[in-house]
Amino acid sequence: MPNFGKMPSSKSNPLIRQVPLAQTQRWRWVTERGLRVETGAFTLARYRAVLAAGLNEVESAIPADGSLLIVLYPRAAPSDALYALLSEDASLSPIVPGRLHLLPVEYGGAVGQDLARLADVAGLSVEAAIALHCSVEYRVMFIGFQPGFAYLHGTPAVLQLPRLARPRTHVAVGSLAIGGAYTGIYPAIGPGGWNVIGRVRANLFDPQRDTPALLMPDDRVRFVRE
Amino acid sequence: MSADGVIDVLQAGRCDLVMDGGRYGFTHLGVPVGGAADAQALRRANRLVGNADTAAGLEIVLNGPVLSFPQGGWIALTGARFGLSRSSGDGVEWDKALLMARNEQLIVGAARSGCRCWLAVRGGLVVPDVMASRSTFLPASFGGMQGRPLRAGDRLTVGAQSGAPMLCAQPPVRDESLPFRVIPGPQAADFTDTGLAAFFSVPYRVDAASDRRGVRLSGAPVAAMARGSLPSQAVLPGAIQIPPDGQPIILGWDGPVSGGYPVIAGLISADLPRLAQLKPGDTVRFATVTLDVARGLAREAMDGY
Repeated sequence: MPNFGKMPSSKSNPLIRQVPLAQTQRWRWVTERGLRVETGAFTLARYRAVLAAGLNEVESAIPADGSLLIVLYPRAAPSDALYALLSEDASLSPIVPGRLHLLPVEYGGAVGQDLARLADVAGLSVEAAIALHCSVEYRVMFIGFQPGFAYLHGTPAVLQLPRLARPRTHVAVGSLAIGGAYTGIYPAIGPGGWNVIGRVRANLFDPQRDTPALLMPDDRVRFVRE
Repeated sequence: MSADGVIDVLQAGRCDLVMDGGRYGFTHLGVPVGGAADAQALRRANRLVGNADTAAGLEIVLNGPVLSFPQGGWIALTGARFGLSRSSGDGVEWDKALLMARNEQLIVGAARSGCRCWLAVRGGLVVPDVMASRSTFLPASFGGMQGRPLRAGDRLTVGAQSGAPMLCAQPPVRDESLPFRVIPGPQAADFTDTGLAAFFSVPYRVDAASDRRGVRLSGAPVAAMARGSLPSQAVLPGAIQIPPDGQPIILGWDGPVSGGYPVIAGLISADLPRLAQLKPGDTVRFATVTLDVARGLAREAMDGY
């Protein structure tokens, strides 16, 4: 069993040191039901391993950016089997290639108002920036923020641009955008702080569909200029 | 399901939402579990009228609706006490099965204490299942009554009757003056001693901008140590995020499944039903407990269910 008795840093706050904290560098807690595991590049491998194990105490698992949240049923405690599973080397897990989606994009103009600035920062022409963005295959790492909002890994380094200092209150449905290292598509209208470079027409999320989210973890995406 | 009754909405409340026990199995697609903010209170109401625990009812917040029951029927109310009356003049009791006469009206007024109550109707409310639940999910406008709160003129369908009603149910006794109990969060160590001292000793006030996505607090800012941006991490209802302005947000039932703000602490499950009753102007304090204590309190809270 891991040692859950220590704080991850040398900080010494008497108010929260009075209780034995369930916090280590690797595994931490989000309420008493969410065990947070640092998973680095192997988040989806861990996610699949946890689901495949079918442990009694595990209600669900939520992949995110380099971490996985294992949600336990109310009142359940993690079993030794879960800790053992999480101690296995995830880098040895086989990679599961998901579906490949070819998504047509209308780049720039009124539907991609940040493209010119992004190209400028990259030191590229708009045409070259579009060609570069279309030249690679992206992988869905996790879904969050909005239902069906997929975080796509693979954005070429020169196109990576920090989020806007002041998020917009309205970003249009289907907006293709870059936020730091990730590319994403807004499935619904709403606030957003990513750099919008174009628009995708595909319906990213429909709660009435058998598979509500078009893009699932591990799926692959290629963007095609319309 | 064969429908055998209706309820007419004569006047809508502030935000009346059709809710059941929640939408399980889609957090990895960015859809939170949601459902009744106090699932136990809705379950109690369902049992009072002989419904299955999974039946859908109404979640009413701060100001309630005026409902008419053309065929009459059994109903039950649980949760916070609201002003209540019936057009027949008959009394209205909480945590008890009530028989509405034909064409009788139920007038739900303002909350007298707390923030939310739940109304179950014998047979349950019938709305289409969306992603395996009848709960309304307002942030993406689906589920429940066409993905929105009730409006005047709506007609709700009531399902076929089920089991035998109970006579009354005992609501849990809670001491609302206690601090909210929390487990230190994954980024607790990223806050300064002053920030942590503020969070754990100063009362915070509930902002008017609070809703099912999150309860926003204001008070002494919780200062974090300088650090780079945090990668998005998965969160749960009850997780307490500290945005750059230092004012805590307790994530609610319809909050995002992941977020990039540091999580200083997380409410224990046993205190989530108390979160449902916080209203603007209330004050909140926090105190830490251990994981074992949190699980013990969760078991206690579920005794009798």
